[in-house]
Amino acid sequence: MLKFIVRRIFWTIPVLLVVIFLTFTMMRQIGGNPFRQSERAVTEATQRNLEAKFHVNDPWYLQYAHYVKGVATFDLGPSLVVRGRDVNDIVATHFPTSIQLGLFAFLFAIVLGVPLGMIAALRHNTWVDYSAMFFSNVFHAVPSFLIATLLIYFVALKAGWFPTSGWTSWEHKVLPSIALGFGPMALFARLVRGTMLETLQQDYVRTAKAKGLRYRRVVGLHVLRNSLIPVVTAAGPLLGFIITGSFVIELIFNIPGIGQQFVDSVFNRDYSVVMGLTVLLSVIVIVANLVVDILYGILDPRTRDVRA
Amino acid sequence: MRTKTLWLWLALLVTSLALVAAGCGGDDDEAAGTGATTEESGGNEAAEQVITVNWGTEPPSLDPGLASDVTSANILFNIMDPLVKLDEDLKPVPAAAESVETSEDGKTVTYVLRDDLKWTNGDPVTAQDFEYSWKRTVSPELAADYAYQFYGIVGAQEYNSCDPKKDDCAALADKMGVKALDDKTLEVKLTSAQPWFVQQSAHHSFIAVHKATVDKFGDKWTEAANIVTNGPFKLENWEHSSAIDLVKWDEWRDAASVKLTRVNGRMIEDGTTAVQAFEAGEVDVLETLPPDETARLKETPEYEKYTALGTYYHGFNVESITDVKQRRAMALAIPRQSLIDNIAQADQIPATGMTPEGMPGYDAINPASPWLPAEGDMEQAKQLMSEVANPKKSITLYINDAPGHREIAVGIQAAWEELGIESTIKQQEFQQYLEFLGPPPNKDVDVYRLGWIGDFVDAINFLELWTCESGNNSTNYCNKEYDALIEKARATEDNDARYEIYGQAEEILFGENGDMPIIPFYYYTYQGLERESIKESFDRNLLDQVDLTKVVVTE
Repeated sequence: MLKFIVRRIFWTIPVLLVVIFLTFTMMRQIGGNPFRQSERAVTEATQRNLEAKFHVNDPWYLQYAHYVKGVATFDLGPSLVVRGRDVNDIVATHFPTSIQLGLFAFLFAIVLGVPLGMIAALRHNTWVDYSAMFFSNVFHAVPSFLIATLLIYFVALKAGWFPTSGWTSWEHKVLPSIALGFGPMALFARLVRGTMLETLQQDYVRTAKAKGLRYRRVVGLHVLRNSLIPVVTAAGPLLGFIITGSFVIELIFNIPGIGQQFVDSVFNRDYSVVMGLTVLLSVIVIVANLVVDILYGILDPRTRDVRA
Repeated sequence: MRTKTLWLWLALLVTSLALVAAGCGGDDDEAAGTGATTEESGGNEAAEQVITVNWGTEPPSLDPGLASDVTSANILFNIMDPLVKLDEDLKPVPAAAESVETSEDGKTVTYVLRDDLKWTNGDPVTAQDFEYSWKRTVSPELAADYAYQFYGIVGAQEYNSCDPKKDDCAALADKMGVKALDDKTLEVKLTSAQPWFVQQSAHHSFIAVHKATVDKFGDKWTEAANIVTNGPFKLENWEHSSAIDLVKWDEWRDAASVKLTRVNGRMIEDGTTAVQAFEAGEVDVLETLPPDETARLKETPEYEKYTALGTYYHGFNVESITDVKQRRAMALAIPRQSLIDNIAQADQIPATGMTPEGMPGYDAINPASPWLPAEGDMEQAKQLMSEVANPKKSITLYINDAPGHREIAVGIQAAWEELGIESTIKQQEFQQYLEFLGPPPNKDVDVYRLGWIGDFVDAINFLELWTCESGNNSTNYCNKEYDALIEKARATEDNDARYEIYGQAEEILFGENGDMPIIPFYYYTYQGLERESIKESFDRNLLDQVDLTKVVVTE
């Protein structure tokens, strides 16, 4: 197991090098000038001074090497556009907000999605099942920005129960978490329902029932546990996805998360911020997958030997 | 055993989530009050003088040397004390300076500071602070966008262009013509007589910074925990991309006249979200409105509109549309007034020249172009078009992808179609767009859209755009006679004489025999929403500056 983990961690290095290289190349291909942010042309002297200050005129391999060195020492460099702020500052200020939002949404999805799927499976082919699946399908299909807009209009503006935007008090955090959590919730519900139905057909469940075990115990001990394995598998990447994929929700609710910084940095051609955040998000996705693989090994012994 | 492990994992997950939830529930914003009431305005002062403004975006920098946008400037003007300020008529009036004197030959300007100035840490504000700050902004190390604002000062351009590897930059800094004669007196030597210099020095890049703080914290000196200011408000809190809160500084020289005790700032970027926050009572002032909601919001009592110092225009690539008659015809064909009324919808003013209304000397400068009637003149346009020897009948109109531009472009497209010109609209993302326009512009560009917002109050700021070497002239237009007039204007001290020269320059561009390198479309307006309790006193000048010291919340 340890060997497996160590090997996986080593594998992230070439992956990151490639990510950095691709981002680096693509960013420069699209053109634009980080030092000019408006119609107003930058004077020659200023442009020269800025290029010298931020080393953007060095040959690409030097910049690349310089950057990789920075990443290795956890220094992501200064922002080219928002003067006086380092990418490390931006990550430290805005990333915790995105993590918080992601975790709340995730919590909402699990707490509602898993029981919903269970009920649907246990009441298979009844109206409970049909309506639960109807709503999951709808919420899975409707994009989060539409849910967000509807929530703001009806719950915040018309009813006045929650603020429309911002991220300061807990009231501010309710609507964005729900808006972001609806999609994953529907996904969990469908996943749990599917695997539970499958598990209910298994021989050992029939055996357990035949033994005269109480139904509650059969479901709680045997069915649920085995049904949750695929949920855990899906949860890891999904958590990574929720944290990194909340750009639109952050925009609509004006949440000072990393997503807004990412989008702004691309439009502003703030190369160092784009790179830094890409590296960060890549690491998250890699780590999320790693954690799932490890969890999987623990939950399902059959997978352990294969990879050792 | 394995059952236990699973439950352990689940328990761990739930506990950690709960911990996160608990950890962030606590930082409630105690300063959430939006102190405005929506009752009738014009009443008595409200007990609570607190407002919440949506600035619309994070101020990119609160360093006066580095700030290059309106939001940063607006915060800066309210937390710092500039030497001179612009009054409602954009005339410079002394602020931190007690007096400003210009020498006989116009080449030396002397500012004398007030006696009672101090920084929020108790240090006195001195003339040396200004000398240090101006030189810092010009220095090549700071690489400031607005270093060129100082180019009128002796030696500034040389110092800004100095290469630290080759030249002796320190010596060049010493030679720069700004000097503190004593603690109170700042002497500025100009390269020539520049009648607009005092007015220009009201620009935020001329604001002083506190040297010890800059030295101590480097790049981070503008953070709320570090910053030392000297203006009517203090920066209490700055949560990046979220909130920027100002509180009244009671020890400011004129604190008695300041009513507001607190100005909470928000940074809601999305227009619709911002309007919703206003309607929910979470903010009291919106600085911009989303184009698709303007029509509805115009009918609300909170709607407010200001004239801006800016011109929205469509530039021709004169190497592609070579015949001036075709350019005139294309200008004539556009019914700008009805496009403004039905599409832009912000009561913009149809432009009749490059220099916008509100600019000092506007009446003398404006060419009242015969090619720019507000409603257009399709008949005359067709007539002119028929006289064009080799008309270009198929063109590409370039715009950037911000909201509103496409709709206007489609209106123009329809007008030109009637004229017999087939136009294709191409839209680009802003950064790519700017690069595409050069100058020189990409060969594919026939017509392009841009705007210009003045950064100081003299028509030269608008007219120098169309000189041959201008970095903002993407039309390929080059007229030596025009350039000569602009040079002449630069050397003309007397305002009226200078306005007359500006008028001649406008005539070359848009007059009866004008070259029409661009179609000035409209003069910008600013529009926003303001709670009725502050609508009376909340004001934005032509440069979009807000003086919070004048705002009073009424009941």
